[in-house]
Amino acid sequence: MTELENERIEPLVELVDVSMRSDRGESVFRDLTLDLLPGRSVVITGSSGSGKTMLGELLIGLRIPQSGKIRLFGHDLSRRKRSVVRRVRLQIGGVGGQFRLVPSLTVAQNISLPMVIAGERKKIRQERLRKMLAEFSLLRQAGEYPGSLTRVENTLVLLARASVANQPLMIIDEPLAGLDQKTFSRVADFLAKVSISGRSMIILASDPLPVQLPNSEQRQIVNGALV
Amino acid sequence: MTRIVHILRELGRNLARHPGTVLGSILSLTLLFLLFDLFWIGSMTSENFYRTLLSDLRMELYLPEEISDSSITSLNREILSLEEVFSAEYVSKETARSRLEQLVGYDLLVGYDSTNPLPRSIIITVESDFQNVNDMDLLQQRLASLTGSTEIVYSRHWLEKAENTRSIILQLGLLLGGLILLTILFNSANNIRLMARARAQGFRQMALLGAGRIFVGMPFFIEGFFMAGASSAFGWLIILYGRSKISLAQFEIMYPPHDQVIVYCVLAGLLGSLSGYVGIRKLLKNG
Repeated sequence: MTELENERIEPLVELVDVSMRSDRGESVFRDLTLDLLPGRSVVITGSSGSGKTMLGELLIGLRIPQSGKIRLFGHDLSRRKRSVVRRVRLQIGGVGGQFRLVPSLTVAQNISLPMVIAGERKKIRQERLRKMLAEFSLLRQAGEYPGSLTRVENTLVLLARASVANQPLMIIDEPLAGLDQKTFSRVADFLAKVSISGRSMIILASDPLPVQLPNSEQRQIVNGALV
Repeated sequence: MTRIVHILRELGRNLARHPGTVLGSILSLTLLFLLFDLFWIGSMTSENFYRTLLSDLRMELYLPEEISDSSITSLNREILSLEEVFSAEYVSKETARSRLEQLVGYDLLVGYDSTNPLPRSIIITVESDFQNVNDMDLLQQRLASLTGSTEIVYSRHWLEKAENTRSIILQLGLLLGGLILLTILFNSANNIRLMARARAQGFRQMALLGAGRIFVGMPFFIEGFFMAGASSAFGWLIILYGRSKISLAQFEIMYPPHDQVIVYCVLAGLLGSLSGYVGIRKLLKNG
């Protein structure tokens, strides 16, 4: 065996035998296992109620499993230690599910928020913000508040916010739901672009994506396990 | 720097979005602080009045007829050496007679027997730290053990009453002060909680993006500091205005010194910060 083969690449996301029950006590996951290497993406599909959203919540430390281990970026999330959860969240860009816009901030402020939290310098912040606003055609809406945005615009702002700080992992819940044809293909292009950029994505969707993303694999939640 | 600017902007947004709540909060807090300030002034004034009364407190040691002048001198020296004693003044029969005359308005002993029946005495002033019933009783016992004294008296009944009254005022004051401070804490916390609740989704999102508790909570801590600090300062401005307009000739009103007022306003601000924390504690916990 060569030295390179011996060296194990640390997974970005590692779920080992995760079991989870819903608030009503029903078993949602049984020995769920997932390894996601850096630069790779996974599209997880499942019917309504299969636990996609709960999986997303597990990955951002909003829930702790009944058993099993969840490791993100080498940190054990199963213990739900506040400082660890915070450190992990700083490296995740999220869209949909629990991730929404802050109603009291404008579009531009919402997009900049991850960089503000990370303490990024003003010059870099403004540069990246301009780039994101242009990329998602949101320049006109920059000063508007989320309340006045359409659903499509809302999704675009969330995508811009999730990509602005170049976090290594994006968790996207139902990215293409409710989008018009034009935005649909635009978002699909964006996802393809991210998947070849070296960043990782966990995409949670009811149906398989109509496009094949590079560096990605398809998994499905069936009876609480990933197949 | 980025975070500080964000925190200050959030603070500005909080204040600008809820002007009615902020104004109502400042007004009610000003009234509460004013009440506390008035109590503070009242307790200082009553304490001063009490001290003034105590400064007139004397202990009188009556001397026997047969005691010699040299014995009185040594007794006086012995009294002065006691730590409780501030001064000891010998009062002769003649001085006692003239003082009685000053007190009554005319000489009661005119036409009386040729010998002055008033006893000689030593008037003792006690150090302020010992002007209480317990220490005065102890001093009385110590003086009684000295040779050359017949009777030692002081206004024990009055002092006991004064001490009880002072103790009741102090207890009531502590209770009232505590109640006012608690009201301030909860009033301010409740207003901040209402403002924070309206922004709960924003809190949640910031937490999901990895914002720490200080980042999310700081605008509210500063807001609490600002509201309580400003309210306490307004309270004192009202009092200072009143002070410039009102003057009482017979009664001296005691005001705390400026440096204490400044410290008080800062402490009030810190209390406000605490109430800010109390106000958003649950939201921070749930994030």
